[in-house]
This record gives sequence, structure tokens and C-alpha cells, in this order.
Amino acid sequence: MTLAAAIERSKRNREDWKYTDLPALLARRAQNAPMPITALPATANDDARLVFVNGIFHPAQSRFGSIPSCILMGDERSGYKLTLGEHTCLVAQPVELVFTTDESATDEIDINLSIDIGANGRLTLLERHLPSRAFSTIDINVTLHESAKFVHGKMTSGGAHIARTNVNVARGGYYSHFGLTRGGLPMRHDIDVHLMDEQAQAALHGVMLLRGGDHADITTRIAHNAPHGVSRQMFKTVLGDKSRGVFQGKIYVAPHAQKTDGHQISRALLLSDSAEMDAKPELEIYADDVKCSHGSTIGDLDADALFYLRARGLSETQARALLIDAFTGEVIDDIPVPAWRDLFRADMEGWQS
Amino acid sequence: MLEIRNLHAAIGGKEILKGIDLTVPSGQVHAIMGPNGSGKSTLSYVLSGREGYEVTQGTVTLNGQDLLALNTEQRAAAGVFLAMQYPVEIPGVTNMNFLKTALNAVRKSRGQSELDAMQMLKLLRGKASAIGLSDDMLKRAVNVGFSGGEKKRNEILQMAVLEPALCLLDETDSGLDIDALKIVSDGVNALRAPDRSMVVITHYQRLLDYIKPDAVHVLAFGKIRKSGGPELAHELEARGYADFAGEAA
Ligand SMILES: Nc1ncnc2c1ncn2[C@@H]1O[C@H](COP(=O)(O)OP(=O)(O)OP(=O)(O)O)[C@@H](O)[C@H]1O
Ligand SMILES: [Mg+2]
Repeated sequence: MTLAAAIERSKRNREDWKYTDLPALLARRAQNAPMPITALPATANDDARLVFVNGIFHPAQSRFGSIPSCILMGDERSGYKLTLGEHTCLVAQPVELVFTTDESATDEIDINLSIDIGANGRLTLLERHLPSRAFSTIDINVTLHESAKFVHGKMTSGGAHIARTNVNVARGGYYSHFGLTRGGLPMRHDIDVHLMDEQAQAALHGVMLLRGGDHADITTRIAHNAPHGVSRQMFKTVLGDKSRGVFQGKIYVAPHAQKTDGHQISRALLLSDSAEMDAKPELEIYADDVKCSHGSTIGDLDADALFYLRARGLSETQARALLIDAFTGEVIDDIPVPAWRDLFRADMEGWQS
Repeated sequence: MLEIRNLHAAIGGKEILKGIDLTVPSGQVHAIMGPNGSGKSTLSYVLSGREGYEVTQGTVTLNGQDLLALNTEQRAAAGVFLAMQYPVEIPGVTNMNFLKTALNAVRKSRGQSELDAMQMLKLLRGKASAIGLSDDMLKRAVNVGFSGGEKKRNEILQMAVLEPALCLLDETDSGLDIDALKIVSDGVNALRAPDRSMVVITHYQRLLDYIKPDAVHVLAFGKIRKSGGPELAHELEARGYADFAGEAA
């Protein structure tokens, strides 16, 4: 995907992009100050970390730890391919993909990556985008073979970021996503999950933290194409200043996908009167024996709770931070990788201060 | 010592407190009784600095310090504690984390060192078991799913932890069963101290059998209408507030 293609797609598909006017947002971005180039953050020494600089895999900065280096193939032109063989398990060693830029970065960086996990394989991978002045697109195509399991973390730190994650899940496979969106102008992430066979499962979780003139849009589509599929979605958005958040979530259930169990929830916390949240849940169900639901709430910080905390000595800043933590905690506490939990929390602390 | 002089306060332009005068010396417990809607909770909120309560006249000092000049958290640091009539539920924040953050915030602003995790755990467990709250209650979200009585005990636990100079108890006895009333009263009595003033708002004389007040005041129609000793509570129990109905104007 390129920026031009993304704009084209947004124009062709107005309903899908109705809250995110890509050309207008990009025009606004041009007036913004450029982003700093960040150094690689520290990490535990033995973690496998694959570093991409300006969209190109950089072996010298990378570390494979105990995972075989042949796990990653391809190049920036043909796209990268990460392959995990059958019964290969990389749960104990989470893989981190770090995307960063340097002085020689072009204005636009487009990345294509496919991830293929063989039957009964297990992968835990964090996709981490460091702040950059470049416009970045990332297209990830995930294939989970029978009973494969993938825990996919994604962190973005503002800037212009257009992402598409397309996931195919075979029988008994499980795709689990945890996203932390810190800002963005614009940020758009499409997550399309296709549950292709029986007992396939997906769980999408996300926290968006927006302020200033941020605009972030997460659009999910979960297609239940086979019986006995399970999907869970929980998205939490915190909006300050004049930021705008969008969550569009669609659950599709094919006619023969009986006994589907799909739930989706979006909750937003508005910290300012000028912030705006648009939530559009959608159920498209063609089977009759299913359990599906969606819910969406948009609210302010609870004034009674704020007073209660302050009456016990917490400063207003502390009280607000505690309530925001409590709000996002429902997602963060569920992250199965302790190191990611710490990372997400640290990132959120940085956002609040 | 708490000193309230000619305190007038309004909510949304409507005057609720119409000139309260009240002095509670350090080491004393004063009870405030009065009909529903007379302004008792309003007084306790005004003293703790809740937003939306506009003080239009008067002064309030605690041990000489002007309370009205302080915001809510500064008053907490200065030693004001309100055990609320309706304690607030805070989903997602554990009681333990709440108490920890509160105590360290207050200690910090009082110029004391913050407690580390171990010291904190020890202190909180000790105080919780003294008030009959299990460790389990410390791990749960603040007041969420607590029974009425458990919420009130939780208020007293916070009070015991924060060691305030002024304790305001707004109907801490309502909703308590007889055993809980005894436990909560013991908790309050344990906190009676020469350098602490307490104001106990209640509708029932029974509480004052457990927490013996030095003085009893009747708050009706936004003003203290009568003050006396503990016997005043018995009188009110027998006669009700009919005597004060004529004083509305
Ligand atoms: N937020 C508010 N907006 C408008 N009026 C209010 C508000 N809060 C309280 N009041 C009014 O102020 C008056 C005093 O209320 P307050 O809660 O102080 O009474 P109280 O003495 O504590 O009564 P109770 O014994 O029932 O607890 C009442 O008439 C009440 O309706
Ligand atoms: Mg009241």
C-alpha cells in the first residue's frame, strides 16, 4: 500500500472512511512541526529484535536471540516474510519488530510484511513504530494455519500512519491483538480478520490516547465464515483537547456460521469538551443460531470520583491519571506479556505528563 | 480547633447555609443533628472544598489556617477528612492502590517521607483488620460491590490511615447493623485524640451512646438553631424537630 493508494481507497470507499477525510487530514499535517528522530529504546538483552530503518531491514542493529535468522526473508521491494514452521513455539521469546527512521528517510515509507505461522505454531510479536517525521504505511498479511496462535502487539507513537492488518485464521487458530495508539495525525488502522474454519478465534484489544489535534481511526471487520467461531473486541479511547477518535467495528456472520459467539465493545473517555469520538458498531448476521453483541459508551471523567480522590489528598492531576489508568486498565491488564504491559504503561505515563 | 463564623453557602445560586457559627475545640467530638435537607451534608462538602458550593460569606479556620483559601486536596493535606454519606465507587482502582496513593500524597504534602511498599502493606493490613475489613476487601476496586456497611467501614479505614486533624462523619451510622455500628464506633473512638476535632452528623441518638459527644447542635434551615450537651440528642429523639419549624424565616 502506498499513500496514493490509501487516498484512492478512501475516496472509493466513502462510507468506510466517513469520519476520516484523509486528504484534509494530510493537509493539516503539513502545517505541523516535524517529528524528532528517536534513538532505539533500551530492551532486555536477550530479546529478539528486528530493526527496520526507513522501511529496510537493518541486520546490524538487529538481534535474533535464540530464534533462527532465516525466520525473516525478503526485502523492501518484494516485501518481507516472516515464517514460523509447524509446531514452532516462540512464546517464551517474544519478537520485537522496531520501525524507525533516520536523516535519510524519504517522506513516505511503505512496508509490506507477511507473517505465516504453521500448524500448532505459536508466535508472540510486538510491532513497534517509533516517532518519525515520515508518512508510513504498513500492510501486514497474517496466515494462521491449523491451531496456530499469534499474540500480536502494536504500538504507534503519533505521526501519519496508515496500517492494514489482514488475518486469515484456520481451524482452531487464535489471533490476539493488543494495540496502543498514542496520537496520530492521521492514524488509521484497518484490522480485517477472517475466521475461515471451525473453532477459529480472534480477540482484538486496543487503547487509543489522543490529544492536541490528533486524529486516529481504528476500523475492524471480523468475518465469521465458519461455525463455532469466537471473537472478542474491546477498544478504549481517551481523548483530550481537540482530538478526534473513530472506532468502526463490524461483525459479519456468514449464513452457515452457526454457533458464532461475537462480542464487541468500544468505550471512550472525553477529557475535553472539544474532543470528539465517533463509534460505529455494525452487525451483519446471516446465521440464526448465534450470540453476538456490541456496545459503545462515551463519557467524561466521573466528577464524584474526582472529588472523592481529591478529598483523600490526591492532586487533581493524580486523580485524573488514576481514573484514566483505571479506564484503560481493562485492556492493559489483559496483555499476556508482562514486558509489554510495562511498556504500554510507561508509554501511557509519558502521554499523560 | 475548627472555627466556623457566619458561614453562608449557595448551590446554583440558592442559599443553603445561612450563617453557621460553630466551634469544635481540639480533642472534642460534636454531633450535628437536624431534619432532612437542612444543610448538614452541604456543610460537610463546603468544609471539604467540593466544587459547585459557593461560599458567599463567612470564615472557616482549622487550627488557625484559613480553609476556604485551599482547594480540596490542600484541605486534605491540612487534615480535613470527610467520611461521606454516600461513598463513591471507583471501578478499576483497587482499594489498596487508592489508600496507598492517598496516604503518600498526604504524607508528601505534610513534609513526611513516603512509605515503601512493605511498610504500606503492613500498615494497611493492620488498620483494615482493626476495622473488620479483610485483605480481600483491600484488593477489590474501591467500594465497588461493597455492601452499605462495608462502604462505611471503608470510610473509617481511610480516616484511620490518613490520621486527619478534622474528622467529618456524615451519617456514617446509617445502613449499619448493630454489630457494625459497634465496630465503626470503636474505630472512631480509637481516633479520638487531643489534637483532633470531630464532627459527627447523625439522625439517631443511638450512635451517640457509642460515640459520646462533648456537644450536640441542631442544624435546621441552614443555621445552628440550638446547642447543648448529650441530653439534647435525647430531647430531639423524643420531640422531633417541630420546635424549629417556625424558625425558617
Ligand atoms: N447539587 C444540588 N443542587 C441543588 N440543590 C441541592 C444540591 N445539593 C443539595 N441541595 C439542596 O440543599 C439542601 C440541603 O441538602 P443537604 O444534602 O445538605 O441536606 P442534609 O441536611 O444533609 O439532609 P439529609 O439528612 O437528608 O442527608 C436540600 O434542600 C437539597 O435539595
Ligand atoms: Mg445529608
